[in-house]
Amino acid sequence: MDALLSLSNDLAAAVEHAAPSILAVHARHRLPSTGIHWRPGIVVTAEHTVRTEDTITVTAADGRTLPATLAGRDRGTDLAVLRVPELTAVAATLGDDSSLRIGHMVLALGHGPRASWGVISALGPRWRTWRGGDVDRLVRLDLVMYPGFSGGPLVDVSGRVIGLNTSGLARESRLALPVGTVSRVTDELLRQGHVSRGYLGLGMQPVTLPEPLRARLGLPRELGLIVVTVQAGGPAERAGILLGDVLVALDGAPVSGLDDVQARLGGDRIGTTVTALVIRAGSRVEAPIAVGEQPRRRA
Amino acid sequence: MSAIAAADPGATRLDAAAAALAEALARVTVEVRSAGARGRDRPGAAGGSLGAGVVWHPDGLILTNAHVARGDVSVVLSDGLARPARLIARDRERDLAALLVDADGLPAALIGDSSGLRVGELVLAVGNPFGLARALSAGLVHAVDRRGIQADLRLAPGNSGGPLADARGRVVGLNTMIAGGLAIAVPSEVARAFVREQLRARERRGG
Repeated sequence: MDALLSLSNDLAAAVEHAAPSILAVHARHRLPSTGIHWRPGIVVTAEHTVRTEDTITVTAADGRTLPATLAGRDRGTDLAVLRVPELTAVAATLGDDSSLRIGHMVLALGHGPRASWGVISALGPRWRTWRGGDVDRLVRLDLVMYPGFSGGPLVDVSGRVIGLNTSGLARESRLALPVGTVSRVTDELLRQGHVSRGYLGLGMQPVTLPEPLRARLGLPRELGLIVVTVQAGGPAERAGILLGDVLVALDGAPVSGLDDVQARLGGDRIGTTVTALVIRAGSRVEAPIAVGEQPRRRA
Repeated sequence: MSAIAAADPGATRLDAAAAALAEALARVTVEVRSAGARGRDRPGAAGGSLGAGVVWHPDGLILTNAHVARGDVSVVLSDGLARPARLIARDRERDLAALLVDADGLPAALIGDSSGLRVGELVLAVGNPFGLARALSAGLVHAVDRRGIQADLRLAPGNSGGPLADARGRVVGLNTMIAGGLAIAVPSEVARAFVREQLRARERRGG
């Protein structure tokens, strides 16, 4: 029975190794979420668990409750970054995204600490969340995410943090944000308080394109995006886009949903030109749009 | 070379260790059938409730949950034979009951120290979920608090009263309920205290 015992001891030691960097985050009514002491004085948590920006506190592993200030939040990746200057414990030991393998035994941890056991069930390439955030790698988990676990660490059997768990990005499956993504977004939030995204200044919704029109204009997809609002003075209006235009491609890539548009409007596109192909009065019209920066919405 | 042969030999040792432990645990686990039970433990057509219990002492002392042992109780030992059991103590507060069967030399559980449990350590449960005799579930310690031991482990109603054991096979708790997807177990220290109290009370009564 030694093999089982040594695994058991490893798992318990992994929890103990990670525990000092796990905090309770009090930023919503009642149920605290979990945060990770990512760097000295910097705590990351799940954005959807931060409901107040005024009086945020964290409870450190040593039991002290400390004031925290919100450095920035990104709905796209469901990450919020807090500054907690009085935090003295060591920050988390961060793992390396390239070491993740399907089948690896992992622990999801919540403040307390509390533990949940499972495996990495699937890994995928770079993906975009339904809220428009860029995630470097899809990490899907087979484990139970208990209430209050969002924002907590996914750790490997040696107690290294290999991701941040959140239930805010997918309803059914359990996902973790890989370390590289959390660090990248944290850098950007600490620098400017938000994550920059490209912006066209358009409100659109999907419409079915009539078959004869598709055939005549050589459109590959059944759906296009009809423009229902044009932001006054915004990038699209300056490029001459009109209400009722149907967007079918950006830079030659077909678009049939808002995700397709978001995928071509990362922060790196700000200031560059994207060529929009729209259907107007039954004809193809090309319009170069200078991509702007998404205005910040106040919560 | 097959994928299995290529696998880390440590993994097969792990499997063998887990299987040996499961077997040892099944030997000290009994089925508890109770005619007077109501609610979710009632298996329906079969009549009476089906829970589990732990052989606490070789001379026939069996511990289970109070909510499993109601009315006329019988137990099925690991030899597959059903025996009538006498309900000698019941504490609804702690959800513990002590049963006595007329037997000796039973394979008894090794009782562990629940106060030494660490969050993250492996735990195993054996019981009769859905009437399936001596089925095993594996998980780990989620948290230990005033509610008892919380384990990240899948239980079903027929697990009630059965053992929760650590990676050494020592019984650290009696599975009692499922709350928010977690298994809640009465710690072995609480069960030990219950047994001590009952024995003392029986001595005083001269029983």
